Amino acid sequence: MGRYILRRVLQAVGTLLLVMLLLHLLTTVAIQLNGNPAQAFFGDKVPTPAQVAAVEQRFNLDDPCFDQVGNPCLGPFVERLGQYAQGDFGTNLRGREVSDIVATAAPNTIRLFCVVLVTWLALGMVLGSVAARWRGSPSDHGIRLTSVLIDAFPVFVLLIVYRYVVAVPLNGWAERTFGENSWPPYWFKPSFDPEHPWATVLVPGILLGLAGSAAFIRLVRAGQLESYQGDHVRTARSKGLGERHVVVHHVVRNSSVPVVTAVGLTFTEALGGAVITEGLMNIYGMGGVLWGAVRDDDVGLVLGIVTLLAAVTVVVMIVVDIAYALLDPRIRYE
Amino acid sequence: MSAVTRPVPNGASGSAPGSAPSSALLEVTDLTVEFRTPGGPVRAVDRLSYRVEAGRTLAIVGESGSGKSVSSLAVLGLLPDTARVTHGSVRLAGTDLLGLSRKEHRARCGDQVAMVFQDALAALNPVHTVGYQLTEALRGRRGMSRADARKRAVELLDLVKVPNARARVKEYPHQFSGGMRQRVMIASALAMDPDVLIADEPTTALDVTVQAQVLRLLAEIQAERQMGLVLITHDLGVVAGVADDVTVMYAGTAVEQAPVAPVYTTPAHPYTRALLRSIPSASGAGRLSVIPGRPPSPGAMPAGCPFHPRCDAVRDVCRTDVPPAAVPAEDRMSACHFAADIMAGREPAPDDKDTGGHDD
Repeated sequence: MGRYILRRVLQAVGTLLLVMLLLHLLTTVAIQLNGNPAQAFFGDKVPTPAQVAAVEQRFNLDDPCFDQVGNPCLGPFVERLGQYAQGDFGTNLRGREVSDIVATAAPNTIRLFCVVLVTWLALGMVLGSVAARWRGSPSDHGIRLTSVLIDAFPVFVLLIVYRYVVAVPLNGWAERTFGENSWPPYWFKPSFDPEHPWATVLVPGILLGLAGSAAFIRLVRAGQLESYQGDHVRTARSKGLGERHVVVHHVVRNSSVPVVTAVGLTFTEALGGAVITEGLMNIYGMGGVLWGAVRDDDVGLVLGIVTLLAAVTVVVMIVVDIAYALLDPRIRYE
Repeated sequence: MSAVTRPVPNGASGSAPGSAPSSALLEVTDLTVEFRTPGGPVRAVDRLSYRVEAGRTLAIVGESGSGKSVSSLAVLGLLPDTARVTHGSVRLAGTDLLGLSRKEHRARCGDQVAMVFQDALAALNPVHTVGYQLTEALRGRRGMSRADARKRAVELLDLVKVPNARARVKEYPHQFSGGMRQRVMIASALAMDPDVLIADEPTTALDVTVQAQVLRLLAEIQAERQMGLVLITHDLGVVAGVADDVTVMYAGTAVEQAPVAPVYTTPAHPYTRALLRSIPSASGAGRLSVIPGRPPSPGAMPAGCPFHPRCDAVRDVCRTDVPPAAVPAEDRMSACHFAADIMAGREPAPDDKDTGGHDD
């Protein structure tokens, strides 16, 4: 088990370095083709060459390789890796520390993801299990139809409808019914409130989770149906065990392996959904910050945040791999 | 566990269906199982009857698709959703299991009648330790403590002669060899001391030497505990040394039922005769005989005797009339129009031009 984890961690470090290199190469090509982003620092003003040079130096963009199309610019890359290793992630164009921005934005994204994950697991496990247990019944058909309907509604449609049609009346109703300083009005606030991060992230998170849960429901259903057909389930029943024991220990337990894998894969997909959700609901999170950074040509911030997201993804993958090994003993000893 | 300790002399005692008094542990009568298919109901088992007494072994022999596994799943109430018992009874120690609710039926499984499945790799759960699977019923149903269960699991592995049992209870099924895994399967069926054990092709996936070991082990345990054993197999060759009685199934029906010894010397059904001819002999002289054709699909049964398209002694009557259950000798049953002739080693008389009036 120890060696298995070690191998996975080493692979993960390699993956991360590869992602960073790729990211570096892409931004380098972009700079070489589109011109130096140091210009963006000055907005509408026209800087003197000396000012541009000063800014280039400040953001590590002064290396001549940035003017030579096709040059991989490995020098600045290694330099940046060294800075990252020391915990220095640089500043954005306005001089604010990237680590400081992340420290403010990341908790909101994490809150959003927690809600999303709970929604996935709750909806997926409950509805998927019910559909598999009573296969072919009206509830099975209803659940499958629901999952198709959810798929047909993109998350941004869901959010726009919620924000502009549902949220305001609900918010008003909740204020009248429960009083202004109670929890319910915050749940239905149409935009994020940093004073009440959990309450105002709840509904957007549930909606984002709902959008992702359709595939999840189908996956759980399919996985459990396969388990129900399994010979080992028949063996468990032949021992005279109660149906509930059989379902929990032989059906749900066995079908949990693909479910955990899917959580990992869908997690990365949800990063994309988070950009949309954070944008629409004015949540100050990683997705919104990244969106702004790309729009403003803020190279340092983009690199820092994408690196961080890549690191998080890689860590999630390791966690999934370890969970996989814990859940399926056949993996462990290979 | 066996309450019935009537000494059973080998061979001659009553084992013909429906004749002896109810000393049978398991008595299956006229069991009929149908599958629901898009083309209408299809009969997988048709009026199967057999009985198993304490300390005796019944072998059910047949090709795949002959209904032998389906009939035992019906006994345990484990038929798939598309199948149901349409007729007959399964009496276990006097109670008709088919009259019980699903829950009550399930409660008798493992406890009174247990099953050893073929392909132990699939039949054991890959994500639980062997120890857990051996004793999960004892823990879940009898409330055995974790420590006692661990001890019991080691005992069970010792019973089926898995070496180093104490360490191996913590391992997973994929870490066992095929033969050892089948032993684990047997041990798990024995965990609750069942009165009747149904072993469904317990040696199919194993190589020949291991097959012999596993069969011997089953026979030993059965003799020691005076269990009733139903051994389902497609291989008439493995039956001889182990079974007391034989039921030969073809296309869902029992075509011949008899004590084991006379079946080999004087088979009373052409199908049994053909099966015996297709067992390879150690001398290896001559070509191995095969039965031409394939078993009929349950959805397209031929008229008359189901075996007649493949039978080497077929006569006109076989093509039109379903043969009745003949009793060519004491304790024997054969579903053949010419049972007496076949048993005596004669070919039935050729067809007349008039009416096919060849009765026994």
